[in-house]
Amino acid sequence: MKRQAIAEALRDAIAEEMERDETVFCIGEDIAVPGGWGGAFTVTLGLEKRFRDRMINTPIAELGFFGVAVGAAMMGMRPIADVQYGDFLFLASDQIINNAAKMRYMSGGRCQVPLVMRAPVGATGRGSQHAQNMERYFTGVPGLKIVAVSNAYDAKGILKSAVRDNNPVLIFEHKLLYGSKGARVESGAIDATSEIPDHDYVVPLGQAALRRSGSDVTILSWLLMLHFSLDAAQRLTNEAVDAEIIDIRSLAPIDYQTIGDSVKKTGRVVIVEEGPKTGGVSAEIAAGIQERFHRYLKAPIIRVASPDVPVPFSPILENAYRPSVAQIVQAVRGAIMPHAKT
Amino acid sequence: MKFELKMPDLSTTGSPIKVVRWLVAVGEFVERGQAMLDVETDKATMEVEALNTGKLLELIVPAGQEVSAGEVLAIIGIEEPSVRSTARTSESGQIEGPKKYDRDFLLSLYQRILLIRQFEDRVKSLFLEGIMPGTIHQCQGQEATAVGVCAALRENDFITSTFRGHGHALAKGLTVQEMLDELFGAITGCCKGKGGSMHIGNLEKGMIPGIAIVAGGIPVATGMALAFKMRKTQQVVACFFGDGGVAEGAFHEAVNMAALWCLPVLFVCENNLYGASTRIDQVMKNTTVSDRAASYGFRGETVDGNDLLAVYEAAGRAVEECRAGLGPVLLELLTYRRTGHSRRDPCHYQPKEERVAWSANDPIVRFAQVLLARCNVDQADLDNIREKIDQEIESAVEQAKTAPPPALDDLLTDVYT
Repeated sequence: MKRQAIAEALRDAIAEEMERDETVFCIGEDIAVPGGWGGAFTVTLGLEKRFRDRMINTPIAELGFFGVAVGAAMMGMRPIADVQYGDFLFLASDQIINNAAKMRYMSGGRCQVPLVMRAPVGATGRGSQHAQNMERYFTGVPGLKIVAVSNAYDAKGILKSAVRDNNPVLIFEHKLLYGSKGARVESGAIDATSEIPDHDYVVPLGQAALRRSGSDVTILSWLLMLHFSLDAAQRLTNEAVDAEIIDIRSLAPIDYQTIGDSVKKTGRVVIVEEGPKTGGVSAEIAAGIQERFHRYLKAPIIRVASPDVPVPFSPILENAYRPSVAQIVQAVRGAIMPHAKT
Repeated sequence: MKFELKMPDLSTTGSPIKVVRWLVAVGEFVERGQAMLDVETDKATMEVEALNTGKLLELIVPAGQEVSAGEVLAIIGIEEPSVRSTARTSESGQIEGPKKYDRDFLLSLYQRILLIRQFEDRVKSLFLEGIMPGTIHQCQGQEATAVGVCAALRENDFITSTFRGHGHALAKGLTVQEMLDELFGAITGCCKGKGGSMHIGNLEKGMIPGIAIVAGGIPVATGMALAFKMRKTQQVVACFFGDGGVAEGAFHEAVNMAALWCLPVLFVCENNLYGASTRIDQVMKNTTVSDRAASYGFRGETVDGNDLLAVYEAAGRAVEECRAGLGPVLLELLTYRRTGHSRRDPCHYQPKEERVAWSANDPIVRFAQVLLARCNVDQADLDNIREKIDQEIESAVEQAKTAPPPALDDLLTDVYT
């Protein structure tokens, strides 16, 4: 066992998968420059020394190299494509949405695209274009599997599952959770380290995870907001509220089994999402719960999300943009006493 | 291709006509119907309109001079692709006869090029009859590009194609039946009816599903070539796209990487002069597509795309280079789309003279002439091939008409593995 941060756990996972399977390779910008950064958040740091021919450092051409990754995947390789910032997925989205996601279906099941994509998201002092939570733009695309990792144990196990899966898998990672070190350290970072076993393990795709058992209310969240939700649950114990917390973790498909078990128990739901409220993933989850479990609900589902604005720069505004622990606490109160004036 | 702008007959019974002023300058692009110049007679002043779309290449009668009806005023045209100095013709066009080729091989090429034409014509008629669903993008007039390139590939080499992929598919060895079934949306189609005309493909035959986003296949082909290089398989990818694709970022991003990593990919630009209805010189200043290669540090070549053996020979050289690790190569094949961009497009934007001229440059007729003149082939051989093709297509059409559709449950399958 060793304690690792997400960046280190991902790095080990990539190295172990490349060691295990020679069709696995990494492709992206600034990922394999000796003396460089190992990608924007140090995940691939040093891997170019161990896997010289399988660390493909690309020009700044997201549309191009995501297409390259798709083509290589179709011909039997298992690429791990990396964007420096999730926001750049818009540039690559034609290849992701029109090709990677649809190739299997269009070919009547004859093709497969075993492609892993990694994208850092989250508001972190960089203004509007290096900050967006991109989950919403991809969760409605049939053919993609989408996951979001909130701790190092999951990061390692999910990356391994993704590499071994024969479908395109998009992994969202949060900049404040990486635990990046040295020059790439993030201010405002949150501890998401885990004890990592020495043996090979995987965390299956498609499954949510129960992070805290409780009986009064179900809080659903992922990435940074999961950590905020855990803090909120701790505070709520002072009010004798026992919150259950589920890490959604798989954004496509959504694990309604795990969610449903909790909703049936508590009858109250708060969904927390970083990113504008309109059109967010939380809207989809709320509707999904409504369709499946409405008769168990004792109160309306409440969403906590960012306002419908771009991510601002000024720290005071950015903090106001990002849902806070206090807002989550307030929302839980509303779920427990829906008719009380707050 | 050049068109003469002549002085119209104004029935002025011989009174002198004078050019007052030109309204366009040499080098400018003019559209059919656009006013070109003012002329005056003793009775009136009037405008003379362009009858062709194209570039004003030469001004023959300057302002101030007198002209008579029928006299040539100016030359309008587009660069004539097939005589462009950079274009290569086949060696066989210059030597006594293509003796270096086996007669059976030449006949197999003829079979393939004619198969594509007959297939496309039959599909068009099925479509116009209202029997066939969906839309179609056809390649009549461009058959030599598909056949010439694919003939230079090995069976385990791959191609990528576009929304205009029927010819590529047939050239790479997909069967008429699996394609017609796909066009009819049948479960027996090459993509189980889920792909359709624009996504025809069959991995086992070396063709991934057609990628119908313009230039979308260029990065994918580059990645396929990267996989071949990393796995040392000696395979090559031929990536088909049109002149329209060259303006997309995907083209530039991908060819740059292919050049950087010396990948075994043959970029095949079928330059048919039109991206949908827009002509190439309206969307690019340098209309020689192969010039792009040099700026990315690799070899480009422009070839007469309606000369089947020229395409085959150029593709053969390029494939050889790719296999030797000297790729990529950009092959620009000059050709012409004689059918609409998609269904029921009457092509009013293609000047009639241009269409007529390219009809006279038909790749199948040209190849047949080579065979007849110099390859010990007679008309009966060719007729025989045509007859067999027509029989094959007819029987496939009959079968496709009653091929089973997918089950409704198939809607939900094949999304994930």
